[in-house]
Amino acid sequence: MADPASDFLKDYQTLAQQSWEAWTRQFQPPAANPFAPPQASAGNDTLERTLSGLKGYFDWMQGALAGNTASAGPDWRQQLQQMFDGAGQPFVQAFGGIDSAGAEGFMRQWQDWIQAVRNGGFGDLPGSHGPTPGFGLDREKQMQQQALAGAMLAAMQATARYQELIQRANAEGVQILQAKLAEPGRKVESLKALYDLWVDASEEAYAAIALSDEFRQVYGEMIDSQMRVRQLQQQQTEEWCRQLGMPTRSEVSSLGERLQALRREVRAGGVAGGAGQADEVQALRREVAALKRQLAASVPGPVATKPVAAKPATPRKAAAKKAAPARKAAKATKAVKTTASRPAPRKRK
Amino acid sequence: MQTPLRIDPAKALGDIATFQRKLAAGMNNLRGMREPEYANTPRELVYSEDKLKVWHFKGHGKPTSKTPLLIVYALVNTVWMTDLQADRSMVRNLLEQGEDVYLIDWGYPDGADRWLTLDDYINGYLDRCVDAVRQRHDLDAINLLGICQGGAFSLCYTALHPEKVKNLITMVTPVDFQTPDNMLSHWCRGMDVDLFVDTLGNIPAGLMNYVYLTLKPLRLNQQKYIGLVDILDNPAELENFLRMERWIFDSPDQAGEAFRQFIKDFYQGNKLVKGTLEIGGRPVDLGMITQPVLNVFAEQDHLVPPDASRALGKHVGTTDYTQLAFRGGHIGIYVSGRAQREVPPAIHQWLRARS
Repeated sequence: MADPASDFLKDYQTLAQQSWEAWTRQFQPPAANPFAPPQASAGNDTLERTLSGLKGYFDWMQGALAGNTASAGPDWRQQLQQMFDGAGQPFVQAFGGIDSAGAEGFMRQWQDWIQAVRNGGFGDLPGSHGPTPGFGLDREKQMQQQALAGAMLAAMQATARYQELIQRANAEGVQILQAKLAEPGRKVESLKALYDLWVDASEEAYAAIALSDEFRQVYGEMIDSQMRVRQLQQQQTEEWCRQLGMPTRSEVSSLGERLQALRREVRAGGVAGGAGQADEVQALRREVAALKRQLAASVPGPVATKPVAAKPATPRKAAAKKAAPARKAAKATKAVKTTASRPAPRKRK
Repeated sequence: MQTPLRIDPAKALGDIATFQRKLAAGMNNLRGMREPEYANTPRELVYSEDKLKVWHFKGHGKPTSKTPLLIVYALVNTVWMTDLQADRSMVRNLLEQGEDVYLIDWGYPDGADRWLTLDDYINGYLDRCVDAVRQRHDLDAINLLGICQGGAFSLCYTALHPEKVKNLITMVTPVDFQTPDNMLSHWCRGMDVDLFVDTLGNIPAGLMNYVYLTLKPLRLNQQKYIGLVDILDNPAELENFLRMERWIFDSPDQAGEAFRQFIKDFYQGNKLVKGTLEIGGRPVDLGMITQPVLNVFAEQDHLVPPDASRALGKHVGTTDYTQLAFRGGHIGIYVSGRAQREVPPAIHQWLRARS
């Protein structure tokens, strides 16, 4: 016999799903150009992230209601497990959302790559069924393809290990949630309150796992293995570019490195040049001071030497002085003598 | 045991209906909404080089402080967090207190910046920015305010060029990079950063954002947006939300070499506190920092745990060290209402006592 309450819920769920889909369609970009390359993210990023997050929550609310959470009896722990541990549960959706928004979907890129290789007439990736020796003119290419297939496999395995840890965080989060709900006096009266409590519990479980040595090792291996795949892809792309006479990433990078080294050298030269000039000025000051002392010792009475000292030597003059110190010393002595015969200017230092 | 779940089915249905209604109405508000502006406090460009710019901010009155304050932000995200919106602007509040505020906008690195090292940033760019401000004011030394990674840069800079820094302020600055609760550090230490940088060159901003989101995946990628539904019908709050969202994801790529060195020396090697750090071949000794230091950190910081910042007190050479704990998070320290009331006045008073 049909259960009117259950039918109503089903109808409501269908209606809600339809209305959700209608809203999201409003914000879809126009029909894709079949010749355009696939985009990692199209349109308004905030909206996409928002919709992604909200969809997870929306699905969960519907699931919770359909699962009769409201009337949960003594087996509420079991029901919680079902609510938060299913395939469409919000934890997985939260991670999926981040991936599509920011991580540029390594997996999707690889799938595109594999598809491109197949479309190019290569069939399955060589080596994807185990290493095979390469022969002949295309030997290097065959070996590269094998290396790439092996690296992709390793990366997928590493990513799977990472996903296992994420799933473990989710499962432990549900256990923490159960423990929180079992605390004396705890009462949850709305789906939102239950969701918020679940978020607290899941973040707590995730943080504990994310700070574990196992996670560090798995996370590091996932990144490293993805980088190896990328390096091999870059290597192949560069070879294609070279064949087409196009500049490669390595060449541009190498030029950038040389340019930056050159800029450092130029700056260091400029600084060293400045320091050299300062040393020269210092030496000249010492020379002038020595001359003053010499003059003071040879000429009786007060001598006005300030005007001479106040004349700053230009770098060119200073260099000339350094080149011919004896001639300059003689001129300086003459200048001092000349100055001594005049009244000293009052305000000049 | 009695079930703790006391959710009335009718109420739950009502909640879902309300959620849908708010979402439907709100989505219409979202459509066609313009990109929110940052505060854009009046400013003038006083120095530029490559992609970086040094801005001088103009307040309503003349600054009462005789020594200018240069803000050194991190290379990740943009410096506009300090001037986000009119009523949430650390820069504006510092100006109102009487400070003469400058800041460095590092810009958006591209392939041309791939080989910039920490030496280029600290002994190069930063030093020339400091010189530019010193020359404008004809001063031997100015005040530095380093934020997050910019705080670590400021510490290195002050240790290497102590004669050019009068007072040093660090905000949410990691010093000990290996405290047990530092998730970023924990993850960094398991990866091959040479392979990473050699492969990627510059580190894409999207990848950096991905890592930050996975620090708290549910809060930052889902719960936050569920909260958004409640403010979709409030244009002012919605604009604030979108402005923050813009700032979070409007982030620059990281220059490859500088990133490599920062991860290796700071996160993996923890050399700043071990005393083994070298920048441009010169040792960085925090003990060389003998000028007054104000260290401001956030008690609920999930990016730079408080202990990572607190460690500074044990390593600087100054006898004038002040620590200020702020009740909030890594971002709230700039934009929360309490931050506006507490942080800039505290900085100003501390500086005034040392002017």
